[in-house]
Amino acid sequence: MNVDVKGPEILFEIPVLGGIGVSETIVNSWIIMAVIALVCFFLGRNLKVKNPSKRQLVAEKAVTMITNLVTDVMGEKNAGWAPYIGTLLIFSAVSSLSSLTGLRPPTADLATTLGWALVTFVMVQVTNIRCHGVSGWLKGFTQPIFVMTPLNIISEVANPISMAFRHFGNIASGLVITSLVYAALAALSSLVLGWIPVIGQIPFLQVGLPALLSIYFDLFTSVLQAYIFSMLTMVFVSGAQD
Amino acid sequence: MERAIVMAASAIGAGLAMIAGIGPGIGQGFAAGKGAEAVGRQPEAKGDITTTMLLGCAVAESTGIYGLVVALILLFANPFIGQL
Amino acid sequence: MGKYLDFVSIPPDVWSLIFTWCNLLILFLLVKKFLFKPVQNILKQRDAEVREMYEKAEEAEKNAKSLEAEYSERLGGAKEEAGRIMQEATRSARERGDEIVGEAQAKAAGLISRAEAQIEREREAAVGELRAQVADMAVAIAEKVIEKEIDPSDHARLVEDFMSSEVEKR
Repeated sequence: MNVDVKGPEILFEIPVLGGIGVSETIVNSWIIMAVIALVCFFLGRNLKVKNPSKRQLVAEKAVTMITNLVTDVMGEKNAGWAPYIGTLLIFSAVSSLSSLTGLRPPTADLATTLGWALVTFVMVQVTNIRCHGVSGWLKGFTQPIFVMTPLNIISEVANPISMAFRHFGNIASGLVITSLVYAALAALSSLVLGWIPVIGQIPFLQVGLPALLSIYFDLFTSVLQAYIFSMLTMVFVSGAQD
Repeated sequence: MERAIVMAASAIGAGLAMIAGIGPGIGQGFAAGKGAEAVGRQPEAKGDITTTMLLGCAVAESTGIYGLVVALILLFANPFIGQL
Repeated sequence: MGKYLDFVSIPPDVWSLIFTWCNLLILFLLVKKFLFKPVQNILKQRDAEVREMYEKAEEAEKNAKSLEAEYSERLGGAKEEAGRIMQEATRSARERGDEIVGEAQAKAAGLISRAEAQIEREREAAVGELRAQVADMAVAIAEKVIEKEIDPSDHARLVEDFMSSEVEKR
């Protein structure tokens, strides 16, 4: 039996600059973005000050929870970060959870998580420069003594890499294990039911069983990793402020 | 022949890389034990303790995840085969 | 079967990275526009409304308190006024009563003294008359007893002596 864990498939190419390959990751994240945007649009429509509907209560609860999370971690003055952190949290969680519907989760591609982590990295550096000035930012690398400079730079660069690999590794391991389980179940069903002429070609055992694994590898890990990614973003950004 | 050797070495390397899973396993077990202790001592702070413990576990997990990523690279995106 | 990207490639596919950034930016703007902005606006409006309500309530309370103070002040004034009026009335009534009583007493005293004077006068008149009669009677009795004319002047003197001794004895 041949287990083949492939990367994201290139679904089509945009014929400019020698062909920009648009991979499954990107298309899936567009689908997820559309879903999130629609849900947000649905939730944020027709808001009223008095007698809010249930839909509005959900929207308010979500916004208040995210804002509270941000102000708890970053302090009251950073409440303006709530939309970005909320976007990151929702996008990451829904992306990882999309594997439940059979899509290839965008977060199982290193490009996605590394992209987000690099955004966090740039934000941290920009925040640092904005709060301490360019000289203060550069001086920060020579703390506590000058000899530590290379180590400081490495530790600063290691942050986004570690964030990206952590998120990617958790989701990709789930993907790999799910593929392995699917392949194993296909092999098992062809072994058990293969003697039946037509029906034997359908891998019946793939129905149901992988769902149990999904509960741990997709539900729990997805939500936890989304939380941790946004938590670390908040911690790094607010750490750069002081 | 060379390709076979590289692939075999990569498979062994991937297996060895997963030894990194020991560390986070011990660490997370320790963290979970301490978390249970803390909940036992202070049951009213269960929510905070659980959140903190999960966050710490997930961060401690990263070394194991690095090992996993190395193993995945060796298995599915082997950089050495291309250099033959 | 189409082409596949590597499962893991370091560095990752550059175009995927660029698409990821664009996606994140677009989703951030969408979420902010469709969810956060309206909800935060609503929350702010509600906050403002609640604050306004509180301010109104506070103002009303202040008004009520000042009104209450005014009323209680007025009430106190009224009570004082009433007390003053009452006192005044009581005092004037007492004065009037005293006056009346005094007048009545004076009148009564006048009446009494006049009556006493009249009584005295009448008594004196009665005593004088009685005395005269008694003297006459005594003279007549004595005449009859001694059968002898007494000199009227002696007689008068005798009676007088007797009467005054009698009166004194009484």
